[in-house]
Amino acid sequence: MNSWFGNALTRAEAIDDWLHEKRAASLALLRDTDWPTRQTEAWKYTSLKKLEQLDFSDGSPAPVIDVSPISGLNSINLVFIDGVLQSIPADLPEGLTIMPLAQVPDEHQPWVLDQFAGVKPQQHLFGLINDTLATNGLVIDVAPQVDLKHPIHITQTMTAGNEAHCRTLVRVGAGARVTVIEHLAGNQESFNTSFTEYSLATKAELEHYRLALQSDAALTIGGSHFNLDTQATLNSTIVGYGSDLARIDVDISHQGEGTLAKLDAIYLLDKQTHFDLHSNIEHTAPNGTSDERVRGIVADKARAVFNGRIHIHRYAQKTSAELNNRNLLLSRDAEVDVKPELEIYADDVSCAHGATIAEIDQLALYYLRSRGIGLEQAHLMLNFGFINELIDQIPNAVLADWLRQQLSGRFTRMNEIKHSGQEATQ
Amino acid sequence: MLSIKNLKASIAGKTILKGLDLTVNPGEVHAIMGPNGSGKSTLGYVLSGREAYIVEEGSILFEGVDLLTMDIEERALAGLFLAFQYPLEIPGVSNLEFLKAAVDAQREARGEPLMSSKEFLSAAREACKAVRLPTEFLKRGVNEGFSGGEKKRNDILQMLMLQPKLCILDETDSGLDIDALKLVADCVNSQRDAKRSFIVVTHYQRLLDYLKPDYVHVLSEGKIIKSGGPSLAPELEEQGYAWLARQPGEEKSL
Repeated sequence: MNSWFGNALTRAEAIDDWLHEKRAASLALLRDTDWPTRQTEAWKYTSLKKLEQLDFSDGSPAPVIDVSPISGLNSINLVFIDGVLQSIPADLPEGLTIMPLAQVPDEHQPWVLDQFAGVKPQQHLFGLINDTLATNGLVIDVAPQVDLKHPIHITQTMTAGNEAHCRTLVRVGAGARVTVIEHLAGNQESFNTSFTEYSLATKAELEHYRLALQSDAALTIGGSHFNLDTQATLNSTIVGYGSDLARIDVDISHQGEGTLAKLDAIYLLDKQTHFDLHSNIEHTAPNGTSDERVRGIVADKARAVFNGRIHIHRYAQKTSAELNNRNLLLSRDAEVDVKPELEIYADDVSCAHGATIAEIDQLALYYLRSRGIGLEQAHLMLNFGFINELIDQIPNAVLADWLRQQLSGRFTRMNEIKHSGQEATQ
Repeated sequence: MLSIKNLKASIAGKTILKGLDLTVNPGEVHAIMGPNGSGKSTLGYVLSGREAYIVEEGSILFEGVDLLTMDIEERALAGLFLAFQYPLEIPGVSNLEFLKAAVDAQREARGEPLMSSKEFLSAAREACKAVRLPTEFLKRGVNEGFSGGEKKRNDILQMLMLQPKLCILDETDSGLDIDALKLVADCVNSQRDAKRSFIVVTHYQRLLDYLKPDYVHVLSEGKIIKSGGPSLAPELEEQGYAWLARQPGEEKSL
């Protein structure tokens, strides 16, 4: 057992709150769990060395972190700094209840206890750690039939030398519609785990974003997990920058009939960053649809890991499931490890999957150049276009524009840095 | 403006153009007709610099400069424009971004100041109006999900924005209905002046009725086998190409 893990278990034992029973159960599981090595399948391509060696003794000064809301989004903003919730806005729209995890009123406790560690599968090691350590977080309840016009924007950021564990539970009532943005930011030496569990009742609709925009020394491990009841709809977009260690697990469980889930993921990695996305889609009921598109650009010595599992159970007839992963590698040292996994036990389903390493389309390059656009700029446009295709599909136009700006800015900087590097070596 | 001499060009080891000569002066409109597979599209690709096409022999001078030493984008910046037979779809790159990059490159090459975003946007909207594409198309990926006719009109839109010196229209009329054909012809006619030249590749006389070319050439088996005035087009429409190939003096064997 490494010292970080040992220390975490000791800290967990000291926590005694209204979630005690839940925490104790996860703690018991953790005690029986071996710390992952490179032989552990779920961590085969992602090393935890950076976490094992975590040392915050440097104490570099914390810079001011921009947690200002995205302009034009008209969102309900919730900000966590180092795991501490800053405030909950007053006058929330009718039908929306937001509570700090530590202060859930009695009338809400039963469903929260039910959902806590009830959506997220047990096999996630850091999910269990988060079960035992997350004293901070949110509980969000959207009443049935409520159509929330304002997105709920949850920002989490970390200052240097800190560790935090956040848990959020979201219940979307029957026929309700809501947008939730999980936005993680910061580049300071830090570690956070952030797990969110969603339950969607009959005909509920959730537009979901997980913007994993941490970078550099900000280590982050977390997940977004969804249960879909009859005819519920999920439209989820994940964006990742990668850091010294970044891992996200997504589980979508189609539990009711006729559910629909769309999952788009984009990653844009450079330097020596690492981004690991594990998605797992469970179809346990008939007539479900899932459509998953994952696209990434990997430059320099960065590494992307994508494990996409689709599991169609015996009774999930008439399921339609598609999974597509495409990667653009911009350097010889860039690496992508892709593993699609299909397990199909029903006989009347339509299921397709594919994973490719993309190359730039020579014909498209010619077309752009034939209009006078220089070779290099044409390359940049097409490369960015590769992920921009998914940004174009983002349902919230304001957020799409904001993300396009962030991603294209990052992409431009990546290429500028590469240039100055090349000049320096000449 | 353009002087092609004894041009021989191949793709994938197969020679397509077998000694083509063509001279285009400023302000002229040349129509090129001819049977399928005669090398009409190849001519456009070779002029634009498409890499898969290899020039084996001959010369091409564009405004006195050797075109064959120039890169694809250099040719475009020198004022050459090819409207494609099948304009490509490029999802993820918006029309607006594409047009802006192309217009910026042109203006930079001409030593003109770049357009402000506002100026550019209003020019792009004007061009949309001229080719009757809804302005929402500007936000979409290049030709993404456009119909065949919309793609061709989008190429003409680019021509309007880029103001080239020599425009090569490669079967721009194919797949267009009569109204769209008229629209494209009007756009082309609006761009005609004493300096700008056009090479119009087409199978049909109809476009030429609107454009009224100065010269009509018949391309067959990689060579121009007959050139004439505008009256040649209706002749071809009526009699086809076979009678030309049979004329004495042609090396073509039947």
